[in-house]
Amino acid sequence: MASVSRLSRELHPLAWWGWAVGLATAASTTTNPLVLLLIVATASVVVLARRTDQPWARVFRLYLLFGVVIVVVRVFFRLLVGGAYGTTVLVELPEIPLPDWVLGIRLLGPVTQEALLGGLYDGMRLATIIICVGAANALVNPKRLLACLPAALYEVCTALVVAVTVVPQLADSVRRVRAAQRLRPSPQGRGRRHQRLRRVLVPVLEDALDRSLALAAGMDVRGYGRSGGLGRRQRLLTGALMLGGLLGIATGVYGVLDTTAPRWLAAPMLVVGVALAVAGLLSAGRRVGRTRYRRDPWRWPEWVVVASGIATAGLLTRVARDQPLLALPSPLEVPTLSVLALLGALLPLVALVAPAPPLVRTATPAPPSTSTREKVDA
Amino acid sequence: MSEVRTRAAVAVPVGRRSALVLAVASVAGLMMLVWPLLVQVEAGTRVQPPFVFLALMPVVLAVVLAELSEGGLDSRALAILGVLVAINAVLRGMGAGVAGIELVFFLLILGGRVFGAGFGFALGCLSLFASALLTAGVGPWMPYQMLVAAWVGMGAGLLPRRVSGRAEIVMLVAYGVLAAYAYGMFLNLQGWPYLLGIGIPGVDGDGLMFVPGDPLLENLRRFGVYTLVTSTSSWDTGRALTNAVAIALLGPAVLTSLRRAARRARVVRVPVDD
Amino acid sequence: MIELRGITLTYDDGPPVLSGVDLAVDEGELVLVAGRTGVGKSTLLGVLPGLVPRFTGGTLTGDVLVDGRSVIELPPRERAHLVGYVGQDPVAGFVTDTVADELAYGMEQLGLPPATMRRRVEETLDLLGIADLRDRDLRTLSGGQQQRVAIGAVLAVHPRLLVLDEPTSALDPTAAEEVLATLTRLVHDVGLSVLLAEHRLERVVPFADRICLLTGDGGVHVGDPADVLRTSPVAPPIVELGRALGWEPLPLTVREARRRARPTLSALRPPVDVPEPPAEPDHGLSASRVTVVHGRHVAVREVDLDLPAGSVTALMGRNGAGKSSLIWALQGSRRRYAGTVAVTGPRGDRVDPARLSADERVRAVGLVPQSAADLLYLETVDDECAAADAGSVREPGTCRALLARMVPDVDGTLHPRDLSEGQRLALVLAIVLVAEPPVVLLDEPTRGLDYPAKEALAVTLADLAARGRAVLVASHDVEFVARVAGRVVVMAEGEVLSAGPVRRVLAESPSFAPQVSKIVGGGWLRVDEVVAAAAAPDRPATGEAS
Repeated sequence: MASVSRLSRELHPLAWWGWAVGLATAASTTTNPLVLLLIVATASVVVLARRTDQPWARVFRLYLLFGVVIVVVRVFFRLLVGGAYGTTVLVELPEIPLPDWVLGIRLLGPVTQEALLGGLYDGMRLATIIICVGAANALVNPKRLLACLPAALYEVCTALVVAVTVVPQLADSVRRVRAAQRLRPSPQGRGRRHQRLRRVLVPVLEDALDRSLALAAGMDVRGYGRSGGLGRRQRLLTGALMLGGLLGIATGVYGVLDTTAPRWLAAPMLVVGVALAVAGLLSAGRRVGRTRYRRDPWRWPEWVVVASGIATAGLLTRVARDQPLLALPSPLEVPTLSVLALLGALLPLVALVAPAPPLVRTATPAPPSTSTREKVDA
Repeated sequence: MSEVRTRAAVAVPVGRRSALVLAVASVAGLMMLVWPLLVQVEAGTRVQPPFVFLALMPVVLAVVLAELSEGGLDSRALAILGVLVAINAVLRGMGAGVAGIELVFFLLILGGRVFGAGFGFALGCLSLFASALLTAGVGPWMPYQMLVAAWVGMGAGLLPRRVSGRAEIVMLVAYGVLAAYAYGMFLNLQGWPYLLGIGIPGVDGDGLMFVPGDPLLENLRRFGVYTLVTSTSSWDTGRALTNAVAIALLGPAVLTSLRRAARRARVVRVPVDD
Repeated sequence: MIELRGITLTYDDGPPVLSGVDLAVDEGELVLVAGRTGVGKSTLLGVLPGLVPRFTGGTLTGDVLVDGRSVIELPPRERAHLVGYVGQDPVAGFVTDTVADELAYGMEQLGLPPATMRRRVEETLDLLGIADLRDRDLRTLSGGQQQRVAIGAVLAVHPRLLVLDEPTSALDPTAAEEVLATLTRLVHDVGLSVLLAEHRLERVVPFADRICLLTGDGGVHVGDPADVLRTSPVAPPIVELGRALGWEPLPLTVREARRRARPTLSALRPPVDVPEPPAEPDHGLSASRVTVVHGRHVAVREVDLDLPAGSVTALMGRNGAGKSSLIWALQGSRRRYAGTVAVTGPRGDRVDPARLSADERVRAVGLVPQSAADLLYLETVDDECAAADAGSVREPGTCRALLARMVPDVDGTLHPRDLSEGQRLALVLAIVLVAEPPVVLLDEPTRGLDYPAKEALAVTLADLAARGRAVLVASHDVEFVARVAGRVVVMAEGEVLSAGPVRRVLAESPSFAPQVSKIVGGGWLRVDEVVAAAAAPDRPATGEAS
């Protein structure tokens, strides 16, 4: 049945996120620039091959750009307030002393290879983590992802769905408001600068609030948040479970911290607390009497994709443990690669077994407009 | 439609049960946050940081959010919550590149003020979560950030209701400064044992490390110096300043906008004639 | 059957917006809610799904019955399976990304089994004639398609009553016809009950079984369309013509009216326009071969346009025809790909507005954008006016005086967003006019305006032209254009289709012809000119409004 599982469809959102988190975890274990670049490259290949043509799929470029900015900023700050560490001085810059109360900070000073490359490697690591998350963002419809969260958090997820919907609209709104504000004479004199921020922020906020209320009204009249017949007793039970769980956790935490307290207050209490809390969450989730129109299936490609991400994380964690000099190279030496590291960094390419996404017609040409034209010409 | 001024009303009230859940969860969260100051061990034992807390924190937050959404977040509150979360996430993303400029509390405090403590809690939690998702700040520290930011929003909702006009802005600015420092301090407390490591009682007495078993005051002093050096003097001050300035300059206008939304979102009981 | 009984709604201490409203909607009936803006049309509609007062505040008394069962205490979500509601802006209410998901959303909330959902999604797609849009992204649809998807999304849960708030006011004539045809089919074939508000009565009256007229004091007058419209303060041109000429029974459709008109009005001599004053080349705005490109899409292609000083020109065309792009390009903010634009600059010389600084441009070309509220950022009307005066270095009170001339009694302490649509538009126009630009461009200003507000705007625009300004107004509203414009430019696909005197251009095009022209023919545009000509049939009519 392999062919059916690989027919064009969108992969389960959690599979992509699992894969990306694996990559990010792998990246966080190393500052080796070669390994990091390989991870970015594999992530990019998979994204280019498996993203849809939806708007969120286009953000990957921004994440790449953001990564570059991070590296530049990191290096810049390292050089600006790096302090004198390392001895291999590359350039001497004049030092600007700061008053004593700014503890341990001085501006500029000698640029060392250690500071420069340290900042570069460090920045590359953070940039790679961000690009991995960006890959997940580009591959997954955020709304489908939020639909996977537990039912008890349904309302919270909805707020997040609204947030995810609003972010791109915000950019649009800011652009529109800025253009509109230029249509009125700008205020003169004192306070111009803060006026400028306000002239954008207030209309954008008003606009966003108006839209959100319209959206809320739209959701409400279509039955969003109907009580699924949760009775008074069920509510009481839910509340009791949740409170009991939290109390259990609180007591357990105390038990863990105070070693003089009886031992049954520690781990057993924590376990009981968590169990009660989870039961409470499940019970609360039962109030949501909602069904799903199209459920995302979880088949073997999902397993393979997730497994490749986890395996990458595992391999590179092993590299970090067994070959620390390779994983965290000294800024004074040329970074190297090993077979294990190479394998780990290239393994995420296995995710290409994921089915190709369906073609979503986002920009089909408008329906034939000749009819109007004829009418108007007639 | 006549203009209504609803200075005193909380747009999203918190029920008694939700308040109880919030309180217990806050206590549990606080204990996990300040554990170095609570931990009691016999001298000479080596203490591992309780990694289990990192896993517990999300459970606690999930329970609180589930309770809040079951108890009092209707679709209007949710929609507004979503918008504010989005704007906060963008503001935080904007500040991320520039040292010390962190605007995340500005809207959080104003939102908590207008919509109440429960809403403020949810707003703080979700804003940090969303911005972490957007800016890839996901990590073990995230649940702690969510919790402390949630407290900041909740605290803003608990400020005295009667204050209005200019005095309200002054109060919010003061709260903003306080909250910025408190946020930094709490998160430092969480990161302190992880970043500096945990000392062995009787051996590491001089450094800034956390030494379990030492007197509380001694550890507090070390932490005080640590936090002062690493963040209070720089990051936290930047955060406090930006928030104070933002609240002072934009607060009145934003409060008006939020209150207009809150007013429209107010529920009035519907009596039946028949 | 859906019934409102003794519905009274008050906001805080104010007078009731609705008082003692009784209304029953039968199965398979289409009831039109009419009335001036601000009398509570939207409020009345909102009571049915329960959005009022839960989303608006206020106190509601009375009862709402569905088949004799009271639902007034149920929140909107618990009424979703009974009452379907589509708001003014369908896009704002979309929750998902694709058409099929949007149709399924309501059913998901009701917890219907997936098999049922699939079946009903397909049924609804067929019913609304949007089956080929199934997997389309909602944002890429045209306005009429979006409106139909929004209707389908609430229909899929099989409600008893469909409530629509101004379903066609943002649409161009063709798209409006699509939506109305769909609605009529639903009423006739499926037996759905429909309650809809619309201020462009000329579009909807022919389809209405009954009209519920809000009288303005909180009460309603419900009855047969012909009866209600006989005395209604708001009426489509067709009815105004019938009333003015004393036709009995009052015709409601163009067909009926034409039959009535034939014996009496066919003898009228066609109207003759007073010839336009020749355009002075160095006044107003002149543009040639203007081209605007977004990526690979050519929004405006080589458009020539002259806006002579002292004239009002209307810009018409379907949504997406490039009207907004052209307007922004003329104003100079949006980059032109090619072409030239010349206006009289702040120093009296002919300049290209794109080369001016933003502050100078404001004094050369004024623009009121489609979402006019984007210009507003302060907390009261007075603050906005004061900021505008200070920005243009005018006497304090200039802006306020301009505003007062358009809408006399606006409370200066109100929040600008609490104003009515018409008042807010006037405020924005006043702010733009403070800089005294010789050219004024307006993008879709009539959206959401009722007949009196449109009339006030028409007077304002005529006044501007009389003071020597060149005015361009983009609008779908044929009747408004017929009332206000001297010249019309019709665009399609970024190009100019036809341009010329309003009488010729509108009469040429069936989709843009005003009702009067459809009835009487021969270049007649407005009720007043026909009435005047009918009163004095020997005198040759002129294009001047009486």
